[in-house]
Amino acid sequence: MWINMGPQHPMTHGLWNLRVKIDGELVLDVDPEMGYLHRGIEKISEDRHYNEIITLMDRTCYVAGMAWEHLFIQAAEHALHIQVPERAQWIRTMSEEFQRVASHLMWYAAFVQDIGLMSPFLYGMRDRDLVLDLFQSYTGGRLTYEYMRVGGVRNDLPPGFTDQARKVCDWLSDRFVEYDRLCLGSDIFHRRCDNLGVLKASECIRYGITGPMLRSAGVARDLRKDRPYAAYGQVDFEVAVADGADVTGRYLVRMEELRQSLRILRQTLDWLDRNAGPVMAENVPRWMGAPYAPVGREGYLLKREYPKGVGFSAIEEPHGEALAYVVNEGGEHPYRVKLKSPVFVNIAAARQYLVGYRVADIPPIMGSVDVCVGEVDR
Amino acid sequence: MAPLSLYGVSNSLVSTLLLHLAAVLPAPLSTLLSNGDLILLLSVLVFCGTLLGASLLNTILLIWFERKMLGRFMDRRGAMHVGYAGLLQNFADGLKLFRKHTFRPQDADPLGFFSAPTAYMVASIVMFGILPVSTGWSAGTLPLSLLLALVVFSFAPLFIFLGAWSSANKYSLIGGMRSAAQMIAYEVPILLAVVAVVLLSGSFDLTTIVNEQRNYWFWGPLFLALIVFVAGMLAEMERIPFDLPEAEAELVEGWNTEFGGMLFAFFMLADYARALVGSYLIVLLFLGGWTLPSWVPAPLTNFPLAGIFWFQVKTYLVFGVFIWIRASLPRVRTDQLLRVGWMRMIPLSLLSIVLAALVVLAKCLPVFGCLPSMGS
Amino acid sequence: MEAEEVGARLRERFPDVVVEPFPGTAGRIRFPAARLIELLTEVRDGLGFDHLGQVGAIDWVEERELFYTVWSDRAKQYLFLSTRIPAGEPHLESLTPVFPSANWHEREACELVGITFDHHPDLRPLLTPTGYQFHPLLRSFRLHEPEELEVKVRDV
Repeated sequence: MWINMGPQHPMTHGLWNLRVKIDGELVLDVDPEMGYLHRGIEKISEDRHYNEIITLMDRTCYVAGMAWEHLFIQAAEHALHIQVPERAQWIRTMSEEFQRVASHLMWYAAFVQDIGLMSPFLYGMRDRDLVLDLFQSYTGGRLTYEYMRVGGVRNDLPPGFTDQARKVCDWLSDRFVEYDRLCLGSDIFHRRCDNLGVLKASECIRYGITGPMLRSAGVARDLRKDRPYAAYGQVDFEVAVADGADVTGRYLVRMEELRQSLRILRQTLDWLDRNAGPVMAENVPRWMGAPYAPVGREGYLLKREYPKGVGFSAIEEPHGEALAYVVNEGGEHPYRVKLKSPVFVNIAAARQYLVGYRVADIPPIMGSVDVCVGEVDR
Repeated sequence: MAPLSLYGVSNSLVSTLLLHLAAVLPAPLSTLLSNGDLILLLSVLVFCGTLLGASLLNTILLIWFERKMLGRFMDRRGAMHVGYAGLLQNFADGLKLFRKHTFRPQDADPLGFFSAPTAYMVASIVMFGILPVSTGWSAGTLPLSLLLALVVFSFAPLFIFLGAWSSANKYSLIGGMRSAAQMIAYEVPILLAVVAVVLLSGSFDLTTIVNEQRNYWFWGPLFLALIVFVAGMLAEMERIPFDLPEAEAELVEGWNTEFGGMLFAFFMLADYARALVGSYLIVLLFLGGWTLPSWVPAPLTNFPLAGIFWFQVKTYLVFGVFIWIRASLPRVRTDQLLRVGWMRMIPLSLLSIVLAALVVLAKCLPVFGCLPSMGS
Repeated sequence: MEAEEVGARLRERFPDVVVEPFPGTAGRIRFPAARLIELLTEVRDGLGFDHLGQVGAIDWVEERELFYTVWSDRAKQYLFLSTRIPAGEPHLESLTPVFPSANWHEREACELVGITFDHHPDLRPLLTPTGYQFHPLLRSFRLHEPEELEVKVRDV
């Protein structure tokens, strides 16, 4: 019997359809159907100039907007040969880490709900709000920020921000202990999640899986470490790894990543306290990176001369490895923007880690994959 | 003074009212009104109406209690805005559901689809007539009231399955199957746990069982049976961690996916009525019903309706534990649930029967002497 | 690993590929479409780039470009590969036997850029609705300019 889990279904955490063939409670086959959220971001990007695309990037993954801004901005700067001031790099690093914390907290909330834990869902959402408050205090937005600009960031941090951010970090690190106690301390949690959705390291690599799913299989692959970008080369942290390759392993990896993110954040906040400086490159046209983006008349009237080029960037997004490829042919807009989402690949391999388990196992497994449909469909 | 009983109150109320009316009204009507059968009929009706209304109000209060408690566990406030501290929120919700259009999926079988919620509701609230909440506050003293209660209580899965099957939805069907499997699996350990209670009290009558607990409550000697019974009740009530039939993560809403409006309200209310009844049963069988230990000072036990008051306090405490469990445990999986049911619960409950028998034997050993409470 | 090294290791078996440096990666290989499977197998097994990052397609009007990004966990580097096929006959061997993860990337390239992949297990449209006739990422598929939009006003 085929049943449709989606497009409106509590398991999906978004808008997609998992067709499941079941025999009683046993899953025989699955077939993910995507595209319900396809907005043609890659196509629209061909019709926008660089700073306008940032708006689209926020919407690519609506729980990790900052990470996708960062991804695209890096590729664009690579293509346009723009150097970014150091302070802007650190602010971007901090923003991406805060985004990782917010995204992982959202994942925690959704995941515990999938296995039937009710209260931690609200704890996760409550604590995520603190991070969103921080975002609001320096970008003005809670979910879609439009904060990064080609050549830097839109504005510097407001006074007193770092103290506030440190307070949030302290609060969160205490809460993570509670989170662990609520999940790992429960026998039922282990009965539900151990040896579930197993995808061994070799299979992960065959199917191109990245991020916490790959790290839960024991592969310490993290682009922040392997191919440091922004200020990640100068901060001290460890790559979270687990060895179960199962749902519990993914839980452990993400919780450890949250702790490591706080560690990175404390270092970046210290650095930002000590070092002042410009947050926007000098050689960028004013219309391209001015605060509050007056991309009005003046900007459109200017004749744009971009050097031809190809830009490529790879970042460790909260869900895994995200790639951007920007082709610039000298026009006003990029000729082609290609985005690769980690979740796209992780869902594509759904058959490998879902078949053979039970219907009741699908929500925890898909929850541990951390689906964000926005970036799959783009 | 005879103890206050609900039937006595309604009887005297009706007869007083009718006799006063008969005194005023002209001859043919007055003889009709002073007829003994009519007084009997009317007082039974008043009794039933009061019992039903009070029980349903209590159920709604229970929902409110759960919303508030669960809210506090989750670091939020729960219902706040309708009535004092959201007390009237459930009535507002009920009104909203009442105003909704009742519809049925095209392929659903109308007879089963519409009768299932009603039947489920009836099977659940009939329980309130069977269970005594204090001396004199039940519909009658049946010698086998415990058996009757359990029979009625285990009737409901049939109607759940009926509703699930007739709503022609795959999720409902899976949920209904799970519900049936789960309730059958947990029916057996519950009954065996009850056997232990019956052994110790020597009676199937709930009032007698409670009276037997005057000296000691049964949860002490029958701790094992209590655990089995509570776990079984969690499964019967379909509450986390055993709420698989309506596991919203994978089955949307399980067996009541297709029900909306008043039909859903019936299911919801009946579910909470069952939860209340389950808590009643635990209090009656293991926690001494309306009795209090003898060391409790007299002013706490002497005021009018003290029995009902303490019974409800105990019930809400028991239900509070259920809410606590709901707020802090994840859901188990069907096969795990069934394995626990058949492989762990049944041996445990058998063991508890043996223990109960040993307790009974021990009490009759000459060393201890037969305790007077054992009666026969 | 630098572009020269990659080129040196491939030169013998693949004289027809061009390896050029590409900043931030181990280089970019341009290769004829016919050698796709052979080359990617060599890149995976010989050079150790065993993790397929993405498959993307670009429409250059007369021809279409397909680019592959692979990652090596040993070298900690990306490697770019790209090939061009004529727009008149846009089909290419599927990469799924070498990298199973190419499956959905190729489905996407098929529906958005209109490239057919031979021997692909399942080339249904992924993101666009069933029966959708267009390939939106072709240059010929124009987005509406703002002034071209017809705004219909309801009669009051």
